[in-house]
Amino acid sequence: MTDAAFSALASLANPSLLIMLVIGVVAGLVIGLIPGLGGTGAVAILLPVTFGMEPEQALAMLIGALAVVHTSDTVAAVLLGAPGSASASVTMLDGYAMARKGEAKRALSLAFLSSMAGGLIGAVGLTLAIPLARPLVLSFGSPELFMLTILGVSLAAVLSRGNVVKGLTAGFLGLLLGLVGTSPTTAEERFTFGSLFLGDGVSLVAVALGIFGLAEIASRVGQRRVTEQPVTLSGGWGAGIREWLTHWTHVVRGALIGIWAGILPGVGATAGTWLAYGQAVATAKDKRQFGKGDPRGIVGPESANNSVEAGDLIPTFLFGIPGGVPSAMLLGMLLTYGIQPGPAIVTEHLDLMYVIIWCFAIASVAGAFLCFLATPTLAKLTKVPFAVLGPGLLVVMLLGAYQEGGQLGDLWVMVVLGVIGFFLKATGMPRAPFLIGFVLAIPMERYYYLTTSLYDSSEWMARPGVLAFAAILVVPLLWSLVKRIRTSRAGMADDGHRNEAEIDDAAGDELEGSMTGTRWSLAVAVGAALLFAGALVISGSFSDEAQLMPRLVAGCGLVAALALLWQERLSWQADSADTGETPGPGTAPASGTTMLASQTRVHTRRDDLVVAARTFASMAAFLLLVYVAGYLAATLVFVPMFLLYTARTRPRTAIIYTLVLGIVLMSLPSLLPVDLPPGLFQ
Amino acid sequence: MTIVVAYADTPPGHAAMTAAAETAIDGEQVIVVSAVRGDTPPDVASVEARWPGLTGHVEVDRADLADPSDAVVQVAQRRDARLVVLGLRHRTPVGKMIFGSTAQRILLDATCPVLAVKPPKEGPHGDVGPHSID
Repeated sequence: MTDAAFSALASLANPSLLIMLVIGVVAGLVIGLIPGLGGTGAVAILLPVTFGMEPEQALAMLIGALAVVHTSDTVAAVLLGAPGSASASVTMLDGYAMARKGEAKRALSLAFLSSMAGGLIGAVGLTLAIPLARPLVLSFGSPELFMLTILGVSLAAVLSRGNVVKGLTAGFLGLLLGLVGTSPTTAEERFTFGSLFLGDGVSLVAVALGIFGLAEIASRVGQRRVTEQPVTLSGGWGAGIREWLTHWTHVVRGALIGIWAGILPGVGATAGTWLAYGQAVATAKDKRQFGKGDPRGIVGPESANNSVEAGDLIPTFLFGIPGGVPSAMLLGMLLTYGIQPGPAIVTEHLDLMYVIIWCFAIASVAGAFLCFLATPTLAKLTKVPFAVLGPGLLVVMLLGAYQEGGQLGDLWVMVVLGVIGFFLKATGMPRAPFLIGFVLAIPMERYYYLTTSLYDSSEWMARPGVLAFAAILVVPLLWSLVKRIRTSRAGMADDGHRNEAEIDDAAGDELEGSMTGTRWSLAVAVGAALLFAGALVISGSFSDEAQLMPRLVAGCGLVAALALLWQERLSWQADSADTGETPGPGTAPASGTTMLASQTRVHTRRDDLVVAARTFASMAAFLLLVYVAGYLAATLVFVPMFLLYTARTRPRTAIIYTLVLGIVLMSLPSLLPVDLPPGLFQ
Repeated sequence: MTIVVAYADTPPGHAAMTAAAETAIDGEQVIVVSAVRGDTPPDVASVEARWPGLTGHVEVDRADLADPSDAVVQVAQRRDARLVVLGLRHRTPVGKMIFGSTAQRILLDATCPVLAVKPPKEGPHGDVGPHSID
């Protein structure tokens, strides 16, 4: 085992691997600085670039980025009070308070060092997980692997934020989308409606970039600009570094919490970071300074949010179950290289595992080092409003989605999924189970057929591994029950579960869940139910072998969607009962203010919708332009238009921006294995 | 000196307020902290209307922490409180296992003495004084 580890280190001396790692680290740091992207954005943007590379190089780049995203996302949180990613909002509590007291460098050095340590401890955890899990993984047959895929989707659905029915509906929708294309067992076309393009299934990059990337752009373009002046970078680095050493127990504890949160599917960086903050508060004797600049409130969470990404990789590589959204994309990438995570990776590709671990560790150290060096300059990036970054990101993301199959159809799929992602986000449906379901749909079906063809039905169900997983499957059910009882009695005195997260922990994200309980979320539920019902009808025409999975998914999905519909109807009734009550003259002042508040809410909701509709319409217009004139020309027309009319920048900025982007696009095909979509007349 | 009350709009919470009003010596400052997640803290006027004895020396404060028990302890530490007053309610062991207990964590985490009170019993036994044990 140590041999494999050191030979992997030796392979890192290969300059091409090191260059990819460095590119990944730099890209990860920059992406971390931009609010709203985070680890998901980092992998999504870099993934398309890696097509055509060797798996080692591709992994070096992606892991390098993933390891450092949570190091640099602290900069905006500390200096601006606007977190670079959702999980950095935890660091903001104490970090921003400290920065306002003139100790920004102290806060940042604490955060960078903790991030580094979190990444290193995460890498150690990943290393230790291999020998521990190896005998277990090797004893798995197809029945256990089948159970694991079910467990992956259901845990993700239950553990993600929001309510369980929504999580399950999202998970089934993802599974259904994953089934589109040629059936793995009978080579039959399913849900393709005769289209040759859908026969290969929907591309993973298009799904991930659409559901997360485009939805994020559409929801943030309209966001109010940051008007606050950033805190000046003052104080000394040295004091923070010395102080950090005295808090090493918090660093270790935060990292361990992070690893655990990462291993659980659906519990991402945000929840893990809040857990670490709660833990830091709970174990502190003197709680006076928390929220006013306590170093312990920075150290623990920062360490946790880096180790979450390492923890995520443990179930992804060893069991083939992604622990979070970024690792779901990594899993999809490995599958396109023909590397099957799970037993195959610990036997045949062990060196790859160690390359990953070394990359993670090296990137963590290099990332922290670069942050110390470059923060004064990089901090300027955090002031750029998202509307200006939007078109550039859009062009890069669409170009990325084109690389996998080289078809413009993928881009249309991506925009459509972007609209769906926007509504899922706005109505509070968790999107992680959707993506995890999408990635696991085909493995689930394949393992199921292997199982039924190799074993008798009674034989495989009685295998100890299968029974153990079935028992674990009960846990999320029980957990959802407890969660349900707890929410139904929300606000009861003395329900003291240690949980530092605010009830509505979407702080800093105005859209998330803003349309729950409105007719939009009712429409989403109806749409989901109709989709499942339609799929159920269509799947009746498939052959026996091919129809089992679609029927099961559509049937269960229909039940979940109907339950969701029922829930929506209840909240709808409660809502209309509230508003139907005409306020009497006596209650005028109180109800007047609530009326005003709800009116402004309706207004911002409408504004959000208008901006999103305009953004998606401009994306569609861009695609039409690409179809006619080719990518480069379309970019040169679209970007300045968008900047001038939507972002309202000065003409000078728009021209320089467009020129730089155009030059980058022109030179890209010669530097990287990237193709630009040609137009009709080219 | 100051007294911190872990407030909830329930019988135990009201009992805690009453006890704090009785315990406060010579217009001692009484600070009300909401101990229920997601509850809006009460306003000073309504507290003074209900417990007139507190008029003029009661205030409402909030902490920077979201967890209610941590919030109560943080305010108590920041204001250097002499005493924390909280109300207890009956809770079965199973209920405690599933839901946890804010009261227990305040009792364990507070760095000053804690006065725990129960709401007066209702029913035929009627008026049970503060000295009775049940």
